[in-house]
Amino acid sequence: MRKKCLIFLSIVLTICLSMVGFSSSSFAKEKSVVYLSLADYTGPIAGLNVPADKGTEDYIKDINAKGGVDGVKIKFIGIDTRYDVARAVSAYKRYRRTPKLLVVNSIGTGIARAVGRLLARDKRVQLTPGDGEFQAHLGSTFIWGPAYQDAFAASMDWVMDDWKSKGKSGAPVVGYLNWDNAYGREHLRGGKQYAEKLGIKMLPPEFFPPGTLKHDVYLTRLAKAGANYIHAGGIDPTPTNVIRDAYALGLTKKIQFTTGYWGPTALGLSVHAKALEGIVNYSFFLRGEDTKMNKTVTDLWKKYRGSLDKLNGVYGMGIAWGMTYVGALKIALNSVGYEKLKGVDMYKAYQGITGFERAGIQGPCAYASDSRRGSREIKIYRVKGGKIVPITGWQKTPDAVSLHKF
Amino acid sequence: MIGFLQQAITGLMIGSLYALVGVAVVLVYKSTHVVSLAHGQLVAFGALFFWLFFGGLGIPFWISLIPAFVLTALMGLLIERLALRPLIGQPLFAAFFMTFAIFIVLEGIFVLYLKGESRALPAFLPTGNIEIYGISMPINQLISFFVAILLFIALSLIFRYTKVGLGMRATAEDHRLAQSAGVNVRNIFSYIWILSAIVAAIAGIATANVMDIYYMLPYIGINGLIVAICGGLDSLPGALIVGLFLGVVENVGAGYLDPIVGGGVKDVAAYVVLLLVLLIRPYGLFGLVRIERI
Amino acid sequence: MRPCGVFDKSYTLDIAIIRTWQHWVILISALILLYIFPLFGSYYLISLMNSLAISVIVVLGLQIVTGYCGQISFGQAAFMAIGAFTSSILTIKLGFSFWIALPLSGIVAGAIGIIGGAPSLRIKGMYLAMATIAIHFVVIWLILHLEITGSFKGLFPPPPSLGGFEFDTDERMYYIIMTVMFIMTYAARNLSRTTVGRAFVAIRDNDLAGEVMGVNLYYYKLLAFFIACFYAGVAGSLWAHWITVVDCEQFTLIHALEYVGMLIIGGMGSIPGVFFGVLFIRILNEVVMFTSPVLAKALPWLGTSPAAALGLTAFGLAVVIFLIFEPRGLAHRWEIFKASYRLYPFAY
Repeated sequence: MRKKCLIFLSIVLTICLSMVGFSSSSFAKEKSVVYLSLADYTGPIAGLNVPADKGTEDYIKDINAKGGVDGVKIKFIGIDTRYDVARAVSAYKRYRRTPKLLVVNSIGTGIARAVGRLLARDKRVQLTPGDGEFQAHLGSTFIWGPAYQDAFAASMDWVMDDWKSKGKSGAPVVGYLNWDNAYGREHLRGGKQYAEKLGIKMLPPEFFPPGTLKHDVYLTRLAKAGANYIHAGGIDPTPTNVIRDAYALGLTKKIQFTTGYWGPTALGLSVHAKALEGIVNYSFFLRGEDTKMNKTVTDLWKKYRGSLDKLNGVYGMGIAWGMTYVGALKIALNSVGYEKLKGVDMYKAYQGITGFERAGIQGPCAYASDSRRGSREIKIYRVKGGKIVPITGWQKTPDAVSLHKF
Repeated sequence: MIGFLQQAITGLMIGSLYALVGVAVVLVYKSTHVVSLAHGQLVAFGALFFWLFFGGLGIPFWISLIPAFVLTALMGLLIERLALRPLIGQPLFAAFFMTFAIFIVLEGIFVLYLKGESRALPAFLPTGNIEIYGISMPINQLISFFVAILLFIALSLIFRYTKVGLGMRATAEDHRLAQSAGVNVRNIFSYIWILSAIVAAIAGIATANVMDIYYMLPYIGINGLIVAICGGLDSLPGALIVGLFLGVVENVGAGYLDPIVGGGVKDVAAYVVLLLVLLIRPYGLFGLVRIERI
Repeated sequence: MRPCGVFDKSYTLDIAIIRTWQHWVILISALILLYIFPLFGSYYLISLMNSLAISVIVVLGLQIVTGYCGQISFGQAAFMAIGAFTSSILTIKLGFSFWIALPLSGIVAGAIGIIGGAPSLRIKGMYLAMATIAIHFVVIWLILHLEITGSFKGLFPPPPSLGGFEFDTDERMYYIIMTVMFIMTYAARNLSRTTVGRAFVAIRDNDLAGEVMGVNLYYYKLLAFFIACFYAGVAGSLWAHWITVVDCEQFTLIHALEYVGMLIIGGMGSIPGVFFGVLFIRILNEVVMFTSPVLAKALPWLGTSPAAALGLTAFGLAVVIFLIFEPRGLAHRWEIFKASYRLYPFAY
């Protein structure tokens, strides 16, 4: 029994090892380039990463099925790093010497910092969510859309407009509630200064550990301090749960809640529709009803994933990454050709892709030699009748990164 | 004052959830001397199974409780049979790490099913608040608070008055002694895991009432562990009292200390309390002090 | 590890680490192999060796405090963080060179480790384990909230340099890390045959009995924590200057649990066990991590993220099965093998 088990185990191990070996040997056969995603499929931000990478993967699959980019096929490799820096570094080092590895998508600030050091040396493009520090220190790290603080500043503009349209005088009081980590503090680095410039009174920010069960303490404190607006941060389902707590406390009627990029999606909406009614959400990619109107996204989703019920806006964002990659790849291939193509060419291409359109999923590409922002526009949405509907068109975000000294 | 009481009450409600998980951990430790990390996953799976029947298939509340309990109990039984029974007589730390490995296995399955998404239970308890002297209490949490208390009383009664309970107490005292007195220790281990899994499932369903079912849910198991250790690993009342106390400390700590130190007190408050408790009473607040002989 | 017919004729021989000339040959050739490895090893393997060696140093410390002295600690990741941040602060803000910061960060981590180990004077077993988990969270919280540690922004320590030569690649760092690992391994191995080591073992086997025999419990327990945290601090310093960026997200409780897991899988109270344990867990981790994308490619209906979840399950299952068959760790098997080799060709 024991022996059989051991033999079985060793067979499984050899198969695994040979598969790993096989994977590295099968690269060079056809003209192909690599897109590496240091993803989190099973960790705390899987809810964001899984649908997004599905979008990229499907888009790349589609491009490959159509014959690739000028005959060059794209390989999508998704490694599950579980939001762990050590694993991400190890994963990147595994593929570091892969000749045609062009772009690495790092989820999470910690990973982006650690892997970014290596990527900067290799002059390879790194994509990362929205930390303004990468715009402040121009390097090889590009962010997906506007920096968190830019978008937060734009939402402050909206708050001012909303405040005035309600016919109230003076300035509103804004509370801020987010995770107790680097991501949770990023919005304020510049965003706070911008809000104060507008005359908005920012309450002391509240930070809570991810995985908190109830957020009553923070919400009541903000409410007591007289907040008119509260920004609920975190990655879904955290903001949904925060607002749900606020609803139970009866705060949603008095206080307007706003959420950021990773706010409520259709999934949370279907169950917590009552609690989420009326909240505002700003986003640099299409979400909710807008996503369902975008033909590029829906076609791809129908082709690979089936019914539209579970379509998530984040899927569209993933497609936009894929589009940018393909667009930049075209530029790079035109300038140096496939044989000479290296990470650094892609790095140049990413800087030259300014104004690239991505089927309207996201504003025009803002990558340039002095800009690392994926786009400058955000759209503001509101939950109405259990649906996420846009209340504004694309709006240009202010530059809040420059307001903070990094 | 009202503010303080309000925070304390909210803390008590959350504390009842911690207490439930803590009780589940204590149950297992009491008779098998295994400190289990795997309970976090049992909590999550209990909630998930319940969601499958209640939210997914739309079966009425009371009926869907049954399959949820049965499935979670089955999981507890399987864990005991397949993974922990071979480790009887081996170093206790191997067993502890085994529960961590089980945690990872179940986490994989949990994520495999959810694919990074979250599930939310439809409201199954009356929503709304009761106001008493200006302190508002959500009804659904009040119910889960009393469920915790009732469950605790039921468990105490089982331990006190049934034959199985007697066997469990005997096993808790000394495995060999119990065995020579005619108690089937193996069966007792299975019963304990089933019982503990059901308690975990109840905790899971109660937790899913305030928090969506997603990746972070199993990590309430760590809070359960803190509760179990603070209260003394072999004391059921300890788990209940410390669980409630911990909820209050977390909430009140976050309420009064956060503005001073700049946030995030909630997490660390529990650990500071744990350290203090252990320094003053090394076997937990209500744990049995073992007299060592050489 | 010695063949049949080799006997210890004197006490010096009995406690010698290296007993026969064959041992010297094996040791020296292994060392040479270790140092010329970058000449033929692939880049990935070299960087993997680096991270393995850093884990080995951490787990060696854990072996001393848990395996030898019997005090369970889940704080290794936090003390590694302390080492990493100390080293970064020393090099960035105070301008120390790496070579001074390396031992200093070990000492600082060790000193804080004494505070962290102080509960062990009263608390035992699982209670102590939980106390160290508490210490982990308190330390990480402090790092996140103190200004000197860069708060959430992290610190960017420079790579080590020696007379203008920068150790800024994995191949260069390899030599530093391997040398430190070798010294630390020797020190740990040597410890077990000194007074201190014997006192530790006495405390592990029965602390009260040890005290009766005249072992100063307070002193030795704190010493064990100091040494363990010193190891973790040194490992942290190496990690910091190897990755060249530190923030508190790099040191999680999962790591601390994994280190203890490596110790249990390798075997308590054995230095080779440390190497076995680290290799088992880390290689399993890497295999799982890199198999899942291949699996997703081979089975397109499965998809990338479910494959990753399956990988996680496989990792857990492998550990479960391993523990069922070998609950005393690989070192136990190694001892059995050594004993049978020593008797070969006789049955006993």
